[in-house]
Amino acid sequence: MKSKTSKVNSKPANLKRRTFLKAGAAVAAAAIVPTETLADEKKTKIVVVHGTNLAKMVEAGMAKMGGWDKFFKPGAKVALKPNLAWNSTPEQGGNTHPDILRAVIKGAEACKVKQILIPENTCQPEKMTFKVSGANDAIEGTSAKLYRPKPADYKEVDVPKGKICQKAKATRDLIEADCLVNMPVAKHHSGATLTLSMKNWMGAVDNKTRRSWHRNGLHQCIADFSTFLKPTLIVIDATRIMLDHGPQGPGKLAYPNEIIFATDPVAADTYAASLFKKTPDDVPHIKLAAELGVGCADLKKIDVERVEV
Amino acid sequence: MKWLRRNIWRLLIAVAAAVLALGYVPESHPELASILPRLSPILSLFGALATRAWLGWLMLLGIPLLVLAAFKGRFFCWHLCPMGFLSETAGKLNPWGKGLVRRVPMVNKALALVIAVTAACGYPLLIWCDPLCIFNGFFAAWREPLAIASAGTGIGFVLVILASIAVPNIWCHRLCPLGGLQEAIAQLCRRKAKTADGAPEQSALSVVGATRRTVLAAIPAAAASLAVRHAVGAKGRDAIRPPGADLERFNALCARCGNCMKACPYQLIQPDLGDSGIEGLFTPALQLRSRNADQEQYCFQDCVACTQVCPTGALRPLTVEQKHKTPIGTAVIDRKKCLAWENHEYCVVCDEYCPYKAVKVEEHDGVSCPVIDEEKCRGCGACESNCPADPIAIVVKPLKAKGKQQKK
Repeated sequence: MKSKTSKVNSKPANLKRRTFLKAGAAVAAAAIVPTETLADEKKTKIVVVHGTNLAKMVEAGMAKMGGWDKFFKPGAKVALKPNLAWNSTPEQGGNTHPDILRAVIKGAEACKVKQILIPENTCQPEKMTFKVSGANDAIEGTSAKLYRPKPADYKEVDVPKGKICQKAKATRDLIEADCLVNMPVAKHHSGATLTLSMKNWMGAVDNKTRRSWHRNGLHQCIADFSTFLKPTLIVIDATRIMLDHGPQGPGKLAYPNEIIFATDPVAADTYAASLFKKTPDDVPHIKLAAELGVGCADLKKIDVERVEV
Repeated sequence: MKWLRRNIWRLLIAVAAAVLALGYVPESHPELASILPRLSPILSLFGALATRAWLGWLMLLGIPLLVLAAFKGRFFCWHLCPMGFLSETAGKLNPWGKGLVRRVPMVNKALALVIAVTAACGYPLLIWCDPLCIFNGFFAAWREPLAIASAGTGIGFVLVILASIAVPNIWCHRLCPLGGLQEAIAQLCRRKAKTADGAPEQSALSVVGATRRTVLAAIPAAAASLAVRHAVGAKGRDAIRPPGADLERFNALCARCGNCMKACPYQLIQPDLGDSGIEGLFTPALQLRSRNADQEQYCFQDCVACTQVCPTGALRPLTVEQKHKTPIGTAVIDRKKCLAWENHEYCVVCDEYCPYKAVKVEEHDGVSCPVIDEEKCRGCGACESNCPADPIAIVVKPLKAKGKQQKK
């Protein structure tokens, strides 16, 4: 009995030491290894592809993002929101490049999605704009449908996290899509400093909403709306960027020859702003969106994976 | 049935004319919509005479009718004219009205003379009495969205039909200036032919008499033309006119055929209901967003549709390059209403949308504020149709100053 008890007694002592060691190891491990993995999860990943062949760049970028089928599920309703606001040619950099648009449409089609809708509230008459921007050529021979929403195509939505913009009329086909791809062109903007992915949602709301944003604090409204409309994927065309006279142009161009892929709009915009040598402090809506928890506006915490094509 | 068999061709021609006037033409050739009114020499040739300008090859469409009149008299009237067919048919509705027309004096030749003489003076009066223009105006008035105001150009047609029911044949036999013109030409040619044959010798006196009467009628017409031009000519400027407008004689030269209103892809051009006075009634004027809250478009910089379809030269045909240099108005900012100037908002949407870079952005207290560069502004209204301020802070005003409509 005694020996037994002693055995029993000795065991806890053993265990204690082992537990202590284990605990120590765990603490040590927790201090080194898990924090690193945790930080990895926290760090936002964006993919930046550099090159000149736009179709190949899109392919490479999507491969790095985890493949087309990660975003485009068979039977899904896909909506694309390029920036096709202006009656200007692809070379002028006022609109998303048609080659990028076409590459994304083709990629989505290969995933056997149900439909691809491209509603765009152009700033100039859509017939000319869709033609001159090259968008008509981009969708030719594909199943994608490009159109300018009519008043009935907008739906009144609540923006619960919005500080100023709490209601908006947004394009129904964009809100109700299973997979929403925001594909702006990066360029200068006389009112909003830069137009990037979050600013691109101004083409996703009706003109009355657009105007009310201008009246009531443009940057806050852009940030507010980005808490509501979350893209599945962001593809920013930064192959050529307009440095002044934006958004319509023609303006002075620079050629970073990059396409940015991301899922975090704030991170994507923060990186894209850096191409203009601007920080979120210079582009208030990026900072405000980060404050609303839309994404990460700290370039140090963004993991930029670069691909050369 | 008998009636149909006899009139089938006239009916088909009227339907074809209506289709043209309704604007059903291939998009690549918008100018085809102007064929019908241009067939009338009153519109195409007298218009060119008044403007002293070449209005493109299409103006020559007015010649065949003159030639036809010289050889065949009023063949056009009795067999081809859609307005004549409809008014004659309308007259059949009133079997009790037969013979009433004989009590109405012959106005048609005098009307043709007045238009011809005043056109030669550079300020044509009553050009809108042309039957093809009246016909065209009625069908061109049907457009989306249909409003009472937009039907203005159709009123002449309704009046002619009503008059024709009250007094059958009054239009073709007594009033129509195009008929009068053809009759005058036919008479002149007949007289010459007779004298050439040497058959019944034309007395010199009667020829002189006719000329004297013509001259006597022409003098007051010319005087009226100059007087009216002096009195109200400048009123053409009181509304925002489509690009390429001949502002100095716009109200006179415009036949109210409705073609430019029909051609505008954005329904910006509407009949004027009084801005340019009673003499400018139903002339085309641009209704930008401050006049029509639902209007989201502006006079698009690369569109010249309206300038291609004017039969009289009230609007000159422009190329896109010419249009880029042709102002139709000037934007004016009301700083008290402007979000940037008054509320210090990030806005300058006017600069964002301006296709001509006519908005200069000035920094005031760290906020970008818009200022109009009047040299560059063309008055297209892109700023006005997108200004987020409520009420609109930037509005296009008609061109007032002389010598501003053509910039080099």
